[in-house]
Amino acid sequence: MLSRHALTSCSRQPNAAFHYFRRSLATETTSEPSSSALIPPVRTKRLPRAQISASVILNRSPIITRTPTLFERAYYAYQARIRRALHNPFPFDFYFKQGSLLETQFSMEEKKRERRAFGPKFNKEEEFVSKEKAAADKAAADQLALQEGETEELMPRVHVADTNRDLKSLDRKGKRNIYILLQTKQDSKYIWRFPQGGVEKGELLHQAAQRDLYSECGENMDTWIVSRNPIGVYNESPLDPLSSEPKPEKITFFFKAHIMAGQAKPNEEIISDFAWLTKQEIEQRVEKDYWEGVKDMLSDY
Amino acid sequence: MSVAAAASTRSVVRFGRTPKITRHLRKNKRTQLPQPHVNVLTREFAPCRFEDHYHNTLQDNAMYMTYIHEHLPRPESRHIRLTYDPNDPYAKNRYNPPVGGSQLGKKPPPPSSPDTVIRLEKISVHCMVKEAIASKSNLLGLIMAMRALTGESYKAGGHHAVEGIQIVRGKKSVGGWIRPGVPVGVKVDLKGQSMYDFLGTLTEFVLPRLRDFQGVVLPPQSSSVNSPSAVSGVVSFGLPPTAMGLFPQVEVNLDSYPKSYGMHIHFVTNATGLGAQNRARALVSGFQIPFVRK
Repeated sequence: MLSRHALTSCSRQPNAAFHYFRRSLATETTSEPSSSALIPPVRTKRLPRAQISASVILNRSPIITRTPTLFERAYYAYQARIRRALHNPFPFDFYFKQGSLLETQFSMEEKKRERRAFGPKFNKEEEFVSKEKAAADKAAADQLALQEGETEELMPRVHVADTNRDLKSLDRKGKRNIYILLQTKQDSKYIWRFPQGGVEKGELLHQAAQRDLYSECGENMDTWIVSRNPIGVYNESPLDPLSSEPKPEKITFFFKAHIMAGQAKPNEEIISDFAWLTKQEIEQRVEKDYWEGVKDMLSDY
Repeated sequence: MSVAAAASTRSVVRFGRTPKITRHLRKNKRTQLPQPHVNVLTREFAPCRFEDHYHNTLQDNAMYMTYIHEHLPRPESRHIRLTYDPNDPYAKNRYNPPVGGSQLGKKPPPPSSPDTVIRLEKISVHCMVKEAIASKSNLLGLIMAMRALTGESYKAGGHHAVEGIQIVRGKKSVGGWIRPGVPVGVKVDLKGQSMYDFLGTLTEFVLPRLRDFQGVVLPPQSSSVNSPSAVSGVVSFGLPPTAMGLFPQVEVNLDSYPKSYGMHIHFVTNATGLGAQNRARALVSGFQIPFVRK
């Protein structure tokens, strides 16, 4: 504010001496003394202090890989085909003993991979293996696979929490970034927001963020605040020069945090509900103004 | 749901009739192999978990952690002496030393921007075999081990940005030890998908099972911040020969190799300027490489 006034006064009075410059800081209307003589200056009320609060965007990163699209799968399959067609010859004699079980298993798997890449008829005519030999090979390879625990089933990619639509579970939406959102009562109205709280005197912003996160979401989790730098700011009620009663500015600084272990157990006195939500789900719940302030801090994936 | 299920089961490979060859490719005179008339490039052939992790989480975090706010563009560097003018007949062809000596170790990091967010450029793995000086056939076991470890071979898949397995030769003549041009070791530069695959194997199979490995040892706090290694953005460490047997691709037939080889690993990042190595460590620790202070 101060520097802006100084700049404007400088541009208006380029030749002003230093003591005039000093004076010009006190009021903005010094450069036009004639108009100030006619209209008495409006005495504005001193603005109330801005309320600063710290908020935490608590994130659970993706825990499983995302499903590739059809285009991506086609691209990968095509590249894998080129790669297989152009690869240098594989030195069987170095890596395997002649006729060992490992070699049998490898060549069977390799044949399967080749057929997958180049079609079911690939290298069909080169085979002169008797049926008994093929069956014995297959049995041996199966046994080897069993020994190495290759028959273990993989976990399903859709969790129970997704099918039950459990918004409180940390296992939901494994492919996406999810964020905790809290529901509180504000002015006899329930609103959704990120964990937040005020800043005490002499406290640093990131310390306040940590304290507020624990006071709202409980100590039952292991979190890490990524940086001391805020990742964004949201001004709730920007100054309105027309309003007669100037409201204090409410400025919220956001910090990014990760949850490593545990689960949120919100303070029931303040928080009525909580949910782990993706960006798109957050948009449906929060106020439009708040959404405009926070949307760029959230991940689309 | 049904649409997604249909999409996941749909085949993405079409096996039609092979096209009729109308004109044969030119053959390489030396190898007698057909030469394609275009550069055939192989790119990513599978989704890459670690790369996704970088783009989902690490990149943002690295930016938030290393962001330095500068509200004005940086002032231009002060011209202490006259600049080099190649048209000046006096200066032409003369030696032009940098003003004020080498500025390495004194330059600040580049201004924070989306382009300068730290990223892993390549992983360089190398190893030397002393016995190869006596007989270069001793290098074969190491080459094979490196091929298995990294999945690279020599210029596989046509023209590549990475060379694959490269032979390192002696540069100097040191009496009783090495002569120039003698193959003594092997070096691999990994980029892209193979880099992330190697990193994944290292952090999930090797380091957790490696005995007495607490983490990569950090230098003492009193060490210089201006040394070339501290400002180069490279994190390096070594693995003992026992670690080779812990890579699953070697573990499966460890008997095939004449002996176990240790290796030096360098994580090369794009970080430059003061504190570059610390930023590189922060990135690498995001990929689950542990660090300890002695």
